[in-house]
Amino acid sequence: MSEVTIATAEPGALSLRALTKVYAPGTPAAVDGIDLEIHPGEFVTLLGPSGCGKTTTLRMIAGFEEPTSGELRLDGDLINKVAPNHRPMAMVFQSYALFPHLSVFDNVAYGLKLRKLPAPQIREQVEAALASMNLTPYAARAPHQLSGGQQQRVALARALVMRPKVLLFDEPLSNLDAKLRVQMRGEIRRLQRQLGITTVFVTHDQDEAMTMSDRIVVMNVGAIEQVDTPELVYRRPASVFVADFIGRANFLDVEVGQVGADDARITVLGREWSVPRHPDADGHGPATLLVRPESVRLASVDEQEDGGGVGRVVASMFYGESIEYEIETESGPLVVMVADPHDAQTFAPGDRVSVGFEASRAWLLPAATPVAG
Amino acid sequence: MRHRRLAALAALPLGSALALSACAVDQAAPGASSGASGGAAGSGTVVIACTPQEEQCQAMAAAFTKATGIKTSYVRLSSGEAVARLGAGKSKPEFDVLYGGPSDGHVAAAKSELIEKYVSPNAAKIPDKYKAADGTWTGTYVGALGFCSNTDVLKKLGVEAPTSWQALLDPKLAKNVAIAHPSTSGTSYTAVWTQMLLNGKDEAKTFDYLKKLHSNVLQYSKSGSAPGQMAGRGEVAVGIVFSHDCVKYQKEGFTMLKNTFPAEGTGYEIGAVSLVKGGPNPANGKKFIDWTLTADHQNIGPTVGSFQIPTNPEAKVTEDMVKLDQVKLVDYSSDEAGAAKKSLTARFDAEIAPQPK
Amino acid sequence: MATLLAPPAGAPESGAALARRPLRSGRDLTLVAIVTTVSLVLFVIVGLPLIRIFAVAFAPEGWEIVTSMLTNPVNRRVLVNTVQLGVIVALIGTAIGFVLAYTQVRVRFRGKRVLHLLALVPIVTPPFALATATISLFGRNGIITNGLLGIQGDVYGLKGLTLVLVISFFPVAYMNFKGMLESLDPSLDEAAANLGASKLRTFLTVTLPMLVPGIAGSVLLLFVESISDLGNPLVLGGDYTVLASRAYIAITGEYSVPAGAAYSLVLLVPALSVFLVQRYWVGKKNVVTVTGKPSGTIDLITAPSLRIPALVISGLVAATVVLLYLTVFVGGFVRILGVNNEFTLRNYQFVLAGIGSDAMFTTTTLALVATPIAGLLGMVIAWLVVRKLKRFAGLMDFVGMLGLAVPGTVIGIGYAIAFNTPWIAGGRQWFPAVAGGSAMLGGAAAIVMVFVARSLPSGQRSGIAALGQISPAIDEASTSLGASSATTFRKVTLPLIRPALLAGLTYAFARSMTTLSPIIFITTPQTKIMTSQILAEVDAGRFGNAFAYCAILIVIVLGVIGLLNLALLHPSLRGIQRRPS
Repeated sequence: MSEVTIATAEPGALSLRALTKVYAPGTPAAVDGIDLEIHPGEFVTLLGPSGCGKTTTLRMIAGFEEPTSGELRLDGDLINKVAPNHRPMAMVFQSYALFPHLSVFDNVAYGLKLRKLPAPQIREQVEAALASMNLTPYAARAPHQLSGGQQQRVALARALVMRPKVLLFDEPLSNLDAKLRVQMRGEIRRLQRQLGITTVFVTHDQDEAMTMSDRIVVMNVGAIEQVDTPELVYRRPASVFVADFIGRANFLDVEVGQVGADDARITVLGREWSVPRHPDADGHGPATLLVRPESVRLASVDEQEDGGGVGRVVASMFYGESIEYEIETESGPLVVMVADPHDAQTFAPGDRVSVGFEASRAWLLPAATPVAG
Repeated sequence: MRHRRLAALAALPLGSALALSACAVDQAAPGASSGASGGAAGSGTVVIACTPQEEQCQAMAAAFTKATGIKTSYVRLSSGEAVARLGAGKSKPEFDVLYGGPSDGHVAAAKSELIEKYVSPNAAKIPDKYKAADGTWTGTYVGALGFCSNTDVLKKLGVEAPTSWQALLDPKLAKNVAIAHPSTSGTSYTAVWTQMLLNGKDEAKTFDYLKKLHSNVLQYSKSGSAPGQMAGRGEVAVGIVFSHDCVKYQKEGFTMLKNTFPAEGTGYEIGAVSLVKGGPNPANGKKFIDWTLTADHQNIGPTVGSFQIPTNPEAKVTEDMVKLDQVKLVDYSSDEAGAAKKSLTARFDAEIAPQPK
Repeated sequence: MATLLAPPAGAPESGAALARRPLRSGRDLTLVAIVTTVSLVLFVIVGLPLIRIFAVAFAPEGWEIVTSMLTNPVNRRVLVNTVQLGVIVALIGTAIGFVLAYTQVRVRFRGKRVLHLLALVPIVTPPFALATATISLFGRNGIITNGLLGIQGDVYGLKGLTLVLVISFFPVAYMNFKGMLESLDPSLDEAAANLGASKLRTFLTVTLPMLVPGIAGSVLLLFVESISDLGNPLVLGGDYTVLASRAYIAITGEYSVPAGAAYSLVLLVPALSVFLVQRYWVGKKNVVTVTGKPSGTIDLITAPSLRIPALVISGLVAATVVLLYLTVFVGGFVRILGVNNEFTLRNYQFVLAGIGSDAMFTTTTLALVATPIAGLLGMVIAWLVVRKLKRFAGLMDFVGMLGLAVPGTVIGIGYAIAFNTPWIAGGRQWFPAVAGGSAMLGGAAAIVMVFVARSLPSGQRSGIAALGQISPAIDEASTSLGASSATTFRKVTLPLIRPALLAGLTYAFARSMTTLSPIIFITTPQTKIMTSQILAEVDAGRFGNAFAYCAILIVIVLGVIGLLNLALLHPSLRGIQRRPS
């Protein structure tokens, strides 16, 4: 994508306080009293499984749903009751929602025409937007004549040309094929960085969330589980749900011994370890240890017996750049990922291996409480 | 195997169509004729193109079957439709008899070679003026043209029931007269020809009258009897219809209707019966015609609400029928009238109908 | 009826393109047999009558009248009247259909089911029911006009015809717009709002432009329907003559079949050309997939500035419908409505037990015979057109539709000309006479044939739309497992398009029961048809009988439709049904 030459407005700051949406009285809330501060210029992703409330939250921000209670503020102003067509936000829809009876040019010009700008100015801005999206040759085409990726860019151009304070994305990449998705991810992120527009992005795809966001908001059944940078969400998940949802996870039952300020001594795989811990994993309740597959360390052993730190290889899958193993240990099954494996790290099903892990990479969590509903 | 299945599939709808249609055929027959047995010797069927009202057709068919044992079926058609149907089916006629409707319809049919001349032995009783001399058709009833007025509407307009053709031109009756269109209605054409006869066959004078009448006419209806029911419903003050229709409406419940006749003279229609050429059952057809000329048949009319005057002098003339000797009739010749119909109605179409009111 | 208008955008074209298999001789004889049979049937029930009527119209006597249409002022007036009526009814009917559909789909109010039902009621109505009710209510001495308001209603002619025809045909527009509005993507409205458009602006700049092809299609279709109508101009026309009634009068009043054929030909030209324009040009510009499933729900409008006018108009239309139908039902129970309101059961006795019962049984029977034939034929033709035929798909589709595109009077006269006499060539009878009392089955065959011809197009359209939604891979899977074309159709395709079949059957029955113009020339002693009986009763001024007939007819139609719905959706017959979720 070429250098973007779209003028922008001051990026807005969004504030959600105790924002709640209940559809029918007596039913569980779709969004249950969430608090969130989104800073100007930030790229925030709402991530979660379907039904978690992320889309409803986005629609409340856009104005298509009215909050049942709570406050929604843009740059400090309360906008709960402001009609969607009066909010300085632009949205890119999952289905792109291009007007089928208008050409690409007219689609992009639609919002500007409503602002009653003079025609030459409209043309200038639209052409600039189309140029930045490499869409200039398609200006006269009808939407159905374009490919999915091109339609996606038209939708983007149409949103950007409005100079919104906040840019909203409703799962825009889910209708694209894998390769295009990856490409568009990068383009959208680059664009956002260049323009510095506050962006709220909704997706259920964790790869998108991880690669694009400044911060990720992980949601589950209407509530926020964690708001953090991708690194922290990955390394220091706030709950078993988040740990399980992002990346792949092994959960081991452990005995918790001495507990420090931010670490704890645990016993697993036949020995003691010192691992970082979640503030709530203080030894008073049941705890579980998160070990990511790539943090597990395997070595061949001579010992003839299982137990302790010895495990048995149940299955192995060769990916080329890595090998994935399923290991059975006395502490439970483990999925292991060995990148760029040497011969010494190549095992066959049935082999016995010594199992360990990078202690600094592990994370002690309170065990999952059964989720209601 | 495949073909058999296909054939079965195709046979199913076809078979059911046949079976059910056959049902329809059987079902209709008992409706159209009551009881196949009884009465004098007679067999087979007879098919009638029947112009009078449905009830009369049904009563007549039942009576004939009872009297002769011949299965009678009919289709109820207006006079014009009947003649057209005969024409369309010329190469393979489906009817034996054309029954009812004004004589000029029968004349037109005869001109198209659809009729076979038949002089019934019973025709001797019928007065000459009510039958064709050459046996093309024989009259079974007579109807006189009259003014059927709604007394309530007349009262509102402050007009008396008209007793002359001139009275119809009263400006107070503007848009309150109803008459059918002469090209589609025998009733209306009778009125037009009557005007011709009253004006000594002077077309100019006739059309002059019609032009004046035009301003008082609400609309020219398609069917001949519609003006009567329009008067009955109070949509117009006066409808020009045959008097027996007016009586019929009175009996149906339009009690505010009153029948009057023009003093200058009025026309009449002769309801005729004739034998269709090449019909499927000519012998039975002739028997039917014989029967329609008897008093027995002509007495059926009043029992089903038809108050035309019977042609057979021995038939009963009831209270409700008009006494012909009390009305001034013009000398109406259906042959002459029929011959001039096409040109007169064409002229009407061109000069009268499109005029603004 | 929505499916009558729009050929589904995109899908069947690609589906057919993917699924067209060349006819491999020797391999699929059943397919060849089916195509031949269907073509033959179509030729007989549609092609032959048209050819015969053309022949008569182009003969010297007929041609003279055709050419006089522009020179003779009377005939010119008739032509102008026809077009004028068609245009007015088309515009008003479309507008009303649109307002009602928009109200139903987009405006918040209670009683949506009632409005929907009322909007559909006119479809099951026989001709003249509304015309006679209108005369009784709004005529010169009408109950409402004179009785209530004290004015002399001028109901004969253009005004009355417009009212009756608009009420009769707006459901077609309503169904069409309802389907389109329901299929509109709600995210388009949201996108427009997001870009700053108010609800009104969104309607004007997004919704309405997308509906333009539907609007055009509606206008054109309503035009064709209203100029083809015969019953209402006969009863309500007064001095306002149109081509359909002129043709009828030519035959029944002037005893001239060539004249009737000539007027029919003149009527055919605008009807057919408008129909073609609507099918092949307007339909293709449709950007709304009528049968597509809408994603998400749309916000119902509560703004008073839009809500009140919409509800007022809809309410007026609904009230008019209720009033007219109430009149029909009540009218059957009194002696003479408006004149002598004495309660009586004589009218119903006449229809149910007296002379009228004949017509009731015969008509229902013949309609019941024709309905499955029409439904099945429509499905088979749809299947052939979408899946099997290569070059001739368009032709078969067109011929199948002709039965409806051609005005009823034209078909009726064509049938009378073509089938009253057997077709004898070379001294041998090739085709028996099927119309007229001396024909085989007492003329019932011709009536069934004309019922089929008139009602199969709707099933055809539904079938084509439904098939467009089904992947051709399903047919191919069946074939790869060894099934012939006929077996595939029977066991795989037909069950999947069951809803379309049901729609086709429903419409076929309703249409057959209420049609007048095609059958009026071919009734026989053995086949009394209800609609022509009603005409006779109206003609004779016996409105009571006419109302009773109409009421019974409506009840029969609704009853059979109800039974059809139950039967075809019964769990034991349902099997695994595709349910749009």
